[in-house]
Amino acid sequence: MNKYTEDDLKKELETKEYAYGFYTDIEADKFLAGLNEDVVRAISKKKNEPEWMTDWRLEAYRIWEKMEEPEWANVKYTKPKFNEISYYSAPKQKPKLDSLDEVDPELLETFKKLGISLDEQKRLSNVAVDIVMDSVSVATTFKKTLGEKGIIFCPISEAIQEHPELVKKYLGSVVPKTDNFYAALNSAVFSDGSFCYIPKGVKCPMELSTYFRINEGGTGQFERTLVIADAGSYVSYLEGCTAPQRDENQLHAAVVELIALDDAEIKYSTVQNWYPGDKEGKGGVFNFVTKRGLCETNAKISWTQVETGSAITWKYPSCILKGDNSVGEFYSIAVTNHHQQADTGTKMIHIGKNTKSTIISKGISAGKSQNSYRGLVRIGSKAENARNFSQCDSLLMGNNCGAHTFPYIEVKNKSAQIEHEATTSKIGEDQVFYCNQRGIPTEKAIALIVNGFSKDVLNKLPMEFAVEAQKLLEISLEGSVG
Amino acid sequence: MDLKEKLISSFLAFENSTATDTNIHQIRSESFQLFEQHGFPSKKEEDWKYTSIREVLKPDYRIFSSTESDINLNEVKKYFIHEIDTYKLIFVNGIYNSLLSTTTHDGVDICVMSSAFTKPKYKMVVDFYFNKIINKNQHFANLNTSFATEGAFINIPKNVVVSKPIEIIYFNTGTDAELMLQPRNLVVVGENSHVQIMERHQSLKENTVLTNAVTEIFAHKRAIVDFYKIQNDLDTASLIDNTFVSQQKESIVSVNTFSFGGKFIRNNLEFYQEDERITSNLNGFSIIGKEQLAANYTLVHHKQPNCESHELYKGIYADQSTGVFNGKIIVDRDAQKTNAFQQNNSMLIDDNASINSKPQLEIFADDVRCSHGCTIGQLDDKAIFYLRSRGIPEKEAKALMLYAFGNDVLEKIKIPELKTRITKIIAMKLKVDLSLEL
Amino acid sequence: MLSIKNLHAGLENKEILRGIDLEIKAGEIHAIMGPNGSGKSTLSSVIAGNETYEVTQGEILFENESIMGFSPEERAHKGVFLSFQYPIEIPGVTVTNFIKTAINETRKSKGLEDMPAKDLLKLIREKAALLEIDRNFLSRSLNEGFSGGEKKRNEIFQMAMLEPKLAILDETDSGLDIDALKIVANGVNKLKNENNAVLVITHYQRLLDYIVPDFVHVLHNGKIVKSGGKELAFELEEKGYDWLK
Repeated sequence: MNKYTEDDLKKELETKEYAYGFYTDIEADKFLAGLNEDVVRAISKKKNEPEWMTDWRLEAYRIWEKMEEPEWANVKYTKPKFNEISYYSAPKQKPKLDSLDEVDPELLETFKKLGISLDEQKRLSNVAVDIVMDSVSVATTFKKTLGEKGIIFCPISEAIQEHPELVKKYLGSVVPKTDNFYAALNSAVFSDGSFCYIPKGVKCPMELSTYFRINEGGTGQFERTLVIADAGSYVSYLEGCTAPQRDENQLHAAVVELIALDDAEIKYSTVQNWYPGDKEGKGGVFNFVTKRGLCETNAKISWTQVETGSAITWKYPSCILKGDNSVGEFYSIAVTNHHQQADTGTKMIHIGKNTKSTIISKGISAGKSQNSYRGLVRIGSKAENARNFSQCDSLLMGNNCGAHTFPYIEVKNKSAQIEHEATTSKIGEDQVFYCNQRGIPTEKAIALIVNGFSKDVLNKLPMEFAVEAQKLLEISLEGSVG
Repeated sequence: MDLKEKLISSFLAFENSTATDTNIHQIRSESFQLFEQHGFPSKKEEDWKYTSIREVLKPDYRIFSSTESDINLNEVKKYFIHEIDTYKLIFVNGIYNSLLSTTTHDGVDICVMSSAFTKPKYKMVVDFYFNKIINKNQHFANLNTSFATEGAFINIPKNVVVSKPIEIIYFNTGTDAELMLQPRNLVVVGENSHVQIMERHQSLKENTVLTNAVTEIFAHKRAIVDFYKIQNDLDTASLIDNTFVSQQKESIVSVNTFSFGGKFIRNNLEFYQEDERITSNLNGFSIIGKEQLAANYTLVHHKQPNCESHELYKGIYADQSTGVFNGKIIVDRDAQKTNAFQQNNSMLIDDNASINSKPQLEIFADDVRCSHGCTIGQLDDKAIFYLRSRGIPEKEAKALMLYAFGNDVLEKIKIPELKTRITKIIAMKLKVDLSLEL
Repeated sequence: MLSIKNLHAGLENKEILRGIDLEIKAGEIHAIMGPNGSGKSTLSSVIAGNETYEVTQGEILFENESIMGFSPEERAHKGVFLSFQYPIEIPGVTVTNFIKTAINETRKSKGLEDMPAKDLLKLIREKAALLEIDRNFLSRSLNEGFSGGEKKRNEIFQMAMLEPKLAILDETDSGLDIDALKIVANGVNKLKNENNAVLVITHYQRLLDYIVPDFVHVLHNGKIVKSGGKELAFELEEKGYDWLK
């Protein structure tokens, strides 16, 4: 990547286009750049955390310090300078609000631009929204409705104060501090995120959703999400990201942990549209995410993701199928255009008997982008009758991009049945002509064909998201044909 | 002294014993430098993650056999495809055995590397081809080059259909308790020519042996090469086979690998397509048990338009054995209209057997048809029951099903006698008499 | 409506059409017959604007306007419809979604708003009934796994939805059994009026029993070698094409 100067920035701001690109001028409370034990302590103190939490963070920091940044992914980028990142940023006025009227009007304006205006959502869409603006949650809705069912849905910082027994028990239980470089970093400095607990036997009556965005220039964002579905419960969780246009690479290293206890089911859907950088590959978000779920007996975890944004994506939502008869699913669409690079996929770790997993991955590469699927299916020696089906399809648009498939299949039990298929194709000229003949212009024809290609995954998204996701696919591939 | 250190000191001694003013000497030194620098691959390296070589490197190998030893034809005849006439290149403990061999210089050269290295008339061929398509990232190939002295040298000029198949067999007689062998083969097939080659590494006694073999195959325009690797060595033998194939326009090269015996088998097979309308075929069938490991690492690099590759690997894994398949297909930006197919099917038939499969595609061209498939499963109980209900005992029924599973790979064998031979090996391996049906 | 003058076209330097002249007026049904390789499908592709073929000479006028410089979708917007001999599969795109996109894009080109969903559904139901297409069919992926008959019926269904001025039916009878053929022909006849025209391209006379042409042209070796009334079709059926060479 070229050296990036302030003049470049100016030029870029003048010429750059980004559908959701805007910058909210909210006074932020921000730490100086750099990371050491004192910074970790300060983050913890700032949030009035109990001592056990501070110690937990420090331990993670010490682990992180000894780790090296991984290099195995099929992506090339200039490594973030961890000492130039500010590890804490929160809107300065930290309002405890009872109603939307008290929210900073400028903030509300931001939400409106994103098309997620709270008041609309609150009244019309039956979706509870826990909004993370930069790092600290500032508004939570529907809390009451959920509260009546015993559902806890709050910022994780609040959960640390109010529900320490749950946090202590489950935080880091699926993604340990030692898991990987970015997970360790997140464990040390995570700012905020969502916490969700669904009590035994409760079906969460609405889709829970969180919108993340990066707001403050030069701020790394380190969300931490913890979803616990107690025995026999059900929850569907939506996460959508749109990031303001940014002039330098931003690091995003989230950790999401899902715990599905016996007979529970968690559906976790993501639409990711962080700023991908401009056409020349300048700027854009680095998205290094660790997402993992644990399934106990008869439990099910289903990950669905539509990845269109970020300059670099490194993300493998995974399932540990520990309990017998548990089920893991991964449905993914990853679109890369211009200079984007994505290395994404999943891990299905079969431990229990009769465990089942399904992987459907659709990769679409355009421009000069590189799109890789990387997936692991591991069948342990005790996992009798495990089943996996994987389908990885790639669509190439133009001759300057790449599509790569790196599946790893490790089987240690003879009763396993594994099927893996992968194909690579392009959009046929005959398909485009056929559409043209019916009056559909080429750009629209491509969008139609791409949507058709992605349909198996789009169908898995909740309705609200499916429409948004289709739009995103179209926007992401604009100008990629010709 | 660990193996690497031993190799370093051996290399110094070896270097002193050979002429130092030749190109070959230069190539050996450079290769050794690479080896010295990188050493043996560790498990941390992605390509060696599933095949730990720690145990394989432990014995105190002799780098060169201590004695020349003779073998009795009757003792080894069973390893030849004696039903048909063949050219034979036979090596004993790494040394060429002229008595057992049948070579020729009549229109084609089917002889040995030691003479190719030294005789002036071969200098041009050796200079032009030797070590030219080695992947320098293959540690073992570099090591082999460093010590390359002997092996098969096959040079077929234009427009020749070689009249009979060529058998290359490397015997190990067990005169050294722990021996490392590093045979080196060079195969050059001219325009429009056709050749069939079989290669085998065979221990006659249960001494520990590590064979690190390298074969380079150059197929010129419209050449057809059928290469068969029969890997059915004793449990004391380990094999690291490195085969590199470079193809020119419209050539068809097939490499068929059959892995049944040996303690540790690691095949690195790499195809490079240098021109248009090339076909590359890679087939493999493994049946292993006990604590055997058989790993097939393949690469097909499509560099030019309108080429094809077909890859089919099947494996049956019993007892505590481990199978590994790692197939990589790279399609360069210029390689439009590529058709690349890859299929890996495995069966685990015992509780402690395992398989690791990693079929990869790296595609940089848009107008291509590439696909890979991978399945892991087991015998169909219903089918077994069906066979048993027709009076076929369980063991035979299972064997029949397993044989049927691998049959499409066996069908690729174009030498009927070889096919019969391999079928027999399979029957032995499955501990049944399959002669009636098969 | 359609006027083709001295049209020469080919593929990779190979001339396939060697001077076609053809005049089609509103309200007429024309049939072009000819043996395999005579250039029938090339002619339909060239009228529809398939860029694979290179036009080397001549002109195509549609409603007195040259459409030579127009893209395939612009021609479609003007009212040219081609029923493909081999309709293309588009996985994951339903028949309904596809036709909705086609209709709205055509409307957009005319400065019209999208068709309201309610009206669209009503229209789909109406036209589907005309071609005896059932509901499930409409939610299947376009042409994927369709039988030969289903593909052709789907083509005519789209034609019914788009209401073109000129419909070119390229070998619409191939792959159809007699019942399907009747349904398709019946659909075409019902859609026919004095303001539109149909060009049937076929190898056999069979389809012309059901879609009765006003004019029949024989294409041979890239040229129209004979024109006449519908009786010419019977003559061809009887004598074959050889007597014309």
